[in-house]
Amino acid sequence: MPDIIDPEELEQKKIFLILASPGTIRQRNIEIIKEVSTLGYHTVVITTNFPYSILTKLYAQNGIPSTRVSFIDAVTRNSIGNVENIPGVVRYINNPANLTDMGIAVTEVLKDHSGKKICIMYDSVSTMLIYLSSANISKFIHFVTNKLRLMDISGVFLAVEKGLDPMLMTQLTTFVDNVVDMG
Amino acid sequence: MESTQNENFCIEAGFLDNALVMIAVLDEKGRVVSWNHAAETITGYSREEVFGSNAVWKNLYPDRDYRKSVTQKIANILKTKNSFENLETSILTRSGKTHIILWNTKKIDAGGLSRAIAVGMDITAEREASAFRENIIDNAFVLITVIDPDGKIQVWNKAAEMITGYSPDEVIGHRDIWKKLYPDAEYRRSITQKISRIISEHNHFENLETIIRTKNGDPRIISWNTRQIGAGGIYHEIAIARDITEQRKAEDALVAYMTEMTMRLKQPVGIISTTLLESADLIKQGMLTQQEIILMLEGQARNATQIEANIRQFQSAIVEKNRSIPEAYRKFLER
Repeated sequence: MPDIIDPEELEQKKIFLILASPGTIRQRNIEIIKEVSTLGYHTVVITTNFPYSILTKLYAQNGIPSTRVSFIDAVTRNSIGNVENIPGVVRYINNPANLTDMGIAVTEVLKDHSGKKICIMYDSVSTMLIYLSSANISKFIHFVTNKLRLMDISGVFLAVEKGLDPMLMTQLTTFVDNVVDMG
Repeated sequence: MESTQNENFCIEAGFLDNALVMIAVLDEKGRVVSWNHAAETITGYSREEVFGSNAVWKNLYPDRDYRKSVTQKIANILKTKNSFENLETSILTRSGKTHIILWNTKKIDAGGLSRAIAVGMDITAEREASAFRENIIDNAFVLITVIDPDGKIQVWNKAAEMITGYSPDEVIGHRDIWKKLYPDAEYRRSITQKISRIISEHNHFENLETIIRTKNGDPRIISWNTRQIGAGGIYHEIAIARDITEQRKAEDALVAYMTEMTMRLKQPVGIISTTLLESADLIKQGMLTQQEIILMLEGQARNATQIEANIRQFQSAIVEKNRSIPEAYRKFLER
């Protein structure tokens, strides 16, 4: 199976928007992390739909070493309440709409893993649409992509295909280097 | 009081009385020597009351300054010629009503006696109708302009001034307003071509949308409708236009909002459905603890609640954006 992410482009610290169907988006998430882990990258997953605890099981089931992935989890604390962050592994934020906390978490997690080959994965733009307007999502992604470029870090944004309106799609396309439509 | 044979003849012949206009014959001192039936009807003063006196003019022009100005005007005209035409004055009738009279006079020599024949046409109704029409045009909420065959603006109403920023003084009698409204030569040319093409095919156009630049530089979207008016081979163009800028903005905003909400409703429902199916699959595989199952279910319930809130927000936004929604639908959407 061909690579979803071109290793050379990943090496060039490019930023990707991956479009997948609703039924395959979880599988794409796993495949991409597997690929980038194999290339020696540590992936920081920002998850807004599946909790950290379940994703770690799924990754383990697919042979992804837990040491290669850490999380910013916007799901768990919303249900369970006060759960403690696990340094270097998971940082919880209260809910996906709290972009300030999410921005701080991204900055801190990147600091935690400074010196490593890092790839940020944002899963997913589509889930964020439940909680935020496209204008706010666009601003946030602009903020994150700017940060990634300044820190010379590659990034992957996952979204459900055909689910973004032309305006948001155009904006996201200008923020990223490559759009990969997995259909 | 002397009356000439002609005057008597005219009266006897019923010539003056049957005239539809006011006719007064005056001697050299302005005294009335003839006063026809129309003059009686219009002014309310009878022949007997006015005959042989010039006092009626004081009654008809009770305001001293106005009377003086009219007298002066007439005297000035008569210095150079022995007649005048279409002098418009306002008289006060016996019943206290103001009438507008259009005067034509001629001096004649009647058997050695100097006489002035004053013919007055009551144009009050015509003037009122004209003022009414002008008032309607001026106070219409749409831009109304009339263009003569030379392309000069003849009418430029208040709405035209309000929309464009150009006053009637700046526009009426000139041809250059279009250059001001369409300062971009290329755009102006394209509009002119479009208009010429439509006019050559239909003689008029409807709902032609253009973007004008107002006097202070703001762009406004205008919807134009034109018709040719006139007769006898001389035609004017009447253009009626609406400023639809705000309407367009509202429509664009509504489309943008509907697109946004479609994106934020359709896709998340799909995400919930997929996530629940994936969760069911993981449960079947025995991969999830009870706490994780609860976590997943609560998470999706939360997503569903948020979608419901988004729908409510969508409903109120539609109501807010479009006030023309019928009451029954509005109530439904506001629930």
